[in-house]
Amino acid sequence: MQLVIGGACAGKRELVRGWYPQARWHLLGAADAMLPASGERLVVSGWADWIEAAVERGAEDDDALRLALAERLDALLAAEAKRAAQVVLIVAEMGRGIVPMGAARRRLRDLNGWLAQDAAVRCERVWYVRHGLHRRLDTREMPIG
Amino acid sequence: MIAFVSGGARSGKSAYGEALVRRWQQRDGARYYLATASADDGEMAARIARHRVERGSGWVTLEAPLALDTALAEVDAGSVVLLDCLTLWASRVLFGSSLDQAEATALLARTLAKARARDIDLVVVSNDLNEGMPPEDELSWRYLALLQAAHRQLAAEADVVIQVIAGLPQVWKGSLP
Repeated sequence: MQLVIGGACAGKRELVRGWYPQARWHLLGAADAMLPASGERLVVSGWADWIEAAVERGAEDDDALRLALAERLDALLAAEAKRAAQVVLIVAEMGRGIVPMGAARRRLRDLNGWLAQDAAVRCERVWYVRHGLHRRLDTREMPIG
Repeated sequence: MIAFVSGGARSGKSAYGEALVRRWQQRDGARYYLATASADDGEMAARIARHRVERGSGWVTLEAPLALDTALAEVDAGSVVLLDCLTLWASRVLFGSSLDQAEATALLARTLAKARARDIDLVVVSNDLNEGMPPEDELSWRYLALLQAAHRQLAAEADVVIQVIAGLPQVWKGSLP
């Protein structure tokens, strides 16, 4: 599994489209299958919209939401291995500005950051996109603890 | 040569851009400052004055809030030009002109092509604004989309792309000049 991370309009989708023009794109929460078919190249995006909608519903606490997202990551990773598929996750960087005024926006920012961390530890390759340029992040040092 | 230098607020990106211009300046060439800010209020006037003092003497200032390509026509071939800062130019495009995003990026493309054709070294400084929370209103989205289109275009075209963090230049493309 690969993770592509970067700010708004940084060029994440363009990069992945250039790499894998034939891939299927799944928006998290959309009607089509979230998991890849056998041998399929799958791009999964729309994480922030999914989080935002979940926060707006207001039902779950942060830990439960983070766990729900991690379960999706695990399911993708397992399906990728089992079905000889290849999965690319696209996640937005949104943690480098000032603290948002609204509580819902703060939750979105927190959950999105945790998602990026949880995705990165599961991915073989992690890429950072900045102004259309990309570089591979060092994933050799696993988080402590 | 074209360099694209960007970073956060007060990251030292302007100082780095100015240092780069001095390094690229040829012995008998001039250095130009392509100003994108205009002193609409007291705070802006103070910011402009501060930057002017920090740059020091020896700069020829060209006022070009919008038409960067025409401004370059006034520059002697073989000169070095500092354009600081692209975020203000993007504001001018969105709030002070009738250009749409495609027309604005075409104008920027003409500017870069003109610099290449006339052997002008160009250093473009800008502010990274896209790694915080995404905007909530449509106008801010349009601004961010325009600015990022310009940033991607510059990064693709530039020989050197530098991210400045706490005054330290980090190379994304090319090598440190």
